[in-house]
Amino acid sequence: MNDAPSKALLPAGLSDLLPPQAQHEAETVEALLASCRAHGYERVKPPLVEFEEGLAGGEATFDVGRSFRMMDPVSQRMMGVRADMTMQIARIATTRLAKAPRPVRLCYAGEVLRVQGTQLSPERQFCQVGAELIGAAQAAAGDAEVVLLAAEALNAIGITELSIDLTLPTLVPAVADGLGIADPVAGRLRAALDRKDAAAVAAIEDETKARGLFRALLAAAGPADRALAAIAKLKLPKPAAEEAKRLAEVVELIVAARPDLRLTVDPVENRGFEYHTGVTFTIFAQGVRGELGGGGRYLALGGAEGGEPATGFTLFTNVLLRALATPEAARRVFVPLEVARAEAARLRAEGWITVAGLMPAKDAAAEARRLGCGHVYRDGQVKTVG
Amino acid sequence: MSANESLMLALPKGRILGEVMPLVRRAGLEPEPAFDDPDSRQLRFATNRSEIGLIRVRSFDVATFVAFGAAQLGVAGNDVLMEFDYPEIYAPLDLKVGRCRLAVAEPREMVAGDDPARWSHVRVATKYPEITRRHFAARGVQAECIKLSGAMELAPRLGLCRRIVDLVSTGQTLKANGLVEVEHIADVSARLVVNRAALKTRPEEIGTWIERFREAVDGA
Repeated sequence: MNDAPSKALLPAGLSDLLPPQAQHEAETVEALLASCRAHGYERVKPPLVEFEEGLAGGEATFDVGRSFRMMDPVSQRMMGVRADMTMQIARIATTRLAKAPRPVRLCYAGEVLRVQGTQLSPERQFCQVGAELIGAAQAAAGDAEVVLLAAEALNAIGITELSIDLTLPTLVPAVADGLGIADPVAGRLRAALDRKDAAAVAAIEDETKARGLFRALLAAAGPADRALAAIAKLKLPKPAAEEAKRLAEVVELIVAARPDLRLTVDPVENRGFEYHTGVTFTIFAQGVRGELGGGGRYLALGGAEGGEPATGFTLFTNVLLRALATPEAARRVFVPLEVARAEAARLRAEGWITVAGLMPAKDAAAEARRLGCGHVYRDGQVKTVG
Repeated sequence: MSANESLMLALPKGRILGEVMPLVRRAGLEPEPAFDDPDSRQLRFATNRSEIGLIRVRSFDVATFVAFGAAQLGVAGNDVLMEFDYPEIYAPLDLKVGRCRLAVAEPREMVAGDDPARWSHVRVATKYPEITRRHFAARGVQAECIKLSGAMELAPRLGLCRRIVDLVSTGQTLKANGLVEVEHIADVSARLVVNRAALKTRPEEIGTWIERFREAVDGA
């Protein structure tokens, strides 16, 4: 047995995209960006690597644990390879575009690299596509705009039957604060709520004055109309009640614009939203494993004191490509060596993909089949090969 | 996949199945006869309701099937959930059966001369290396875990290691092997678990099943 690893072996979580998938991915990214562009979002392109403070987005230490880091031999400072582009876009908006009129609408696409994949998506490198709305005051219209834009972009590439889960990561901390629940109990409560572990939540509530409030929030998760009605009935501390009201406004705007979207509300979801400050969302599609993307409200730090309110969405192409069928192969025509170049050019102008013969072919049809062409150019005509 | 695609409920083989089945039946699910036939080699079973099927797998595999969405619902002890800590699994309902506890045990003769405060490293035989590592790390002790799939109680006697982390229900097995429970890690019971994406994309159907099981537990 030969134990030497093959040259084809790549590190875990990294892969080559081959034809036709590589082309399919590029077209998917382009189509998503086209939807963003149509809504006034302009494209920016940050670098792959930057100083780690830039990637961490000011005070947040969110990305530090999942980025590859290295020392810059030139400046002797630590740099990180981006694991998420959102903070880079926020940095651009709050520094270089600080004087641009607000709100700033930016979109982007680029590869990100992570130290580890997740259980459902083992990929460590994948393409992230998204749009950010920065400098929009705490307006429900802004929150609704990015959710609707994400849905429209996904519909445009052929992903339908979307299910959008709206969440409010600030709600549970606000309720806990209001009830005077502090760490470490608050931390344990947080973890139990993340797992929707009803038994653990009940046990923790018994130690506090919560009187079933968290259990009720946990049970409220579900279809948006029902969940909002259940939340409205709860006696929440004032700041938490205001958060819930804002969520209801956002839901109303989304439903008015797209009554066909399936909306759920989960008032206790927090995972993945560590740096968010308001309404957030996760996008699922019926029958697709894992999430297609998500986003929500956060503070764009770096420029003005206290940061700027911002919201946006991010989609992961590795998951999107799994959800989409591979498109039909393009129409390729084999053009034998003896055909004049001008004729091949005319075929391309008509929308054909031409594959040129480099040597005289005895059987042009067989050669076309061998090279994966469904057609051959013969006697001045495109003919189907069986 | 369409909205009316059927659901799959994963049930664990062994210890807790006998306690869980009455709840499953009270929730309105009656498996086909082969489910109770010990000679049947069938792994997947139809039920009296066409929209939901059953599979019977090892208890650790229930968590894996549900985490990856191969089964939308399942029954798993929180020992299994703690060991894997899959972010894709929700545990919305305590079924209140299959109760036991997860504990550290060591030979009776060791207890007197042992001061846990002085440990910096322990070697432990267990089926739960992740929980064990986390438990000891929280108190500043590095745990070297020897992964076994069963019969943990043999390990100290035969000199494999001195401590074990295992499920304890009555304590009889420990006693018979000259071991005593020295630390409690967690109380364990069976939970109804659901896949996160399934709950988000099919909230009505999954929600209905959670409610049926809740009524079955409350009526017990």
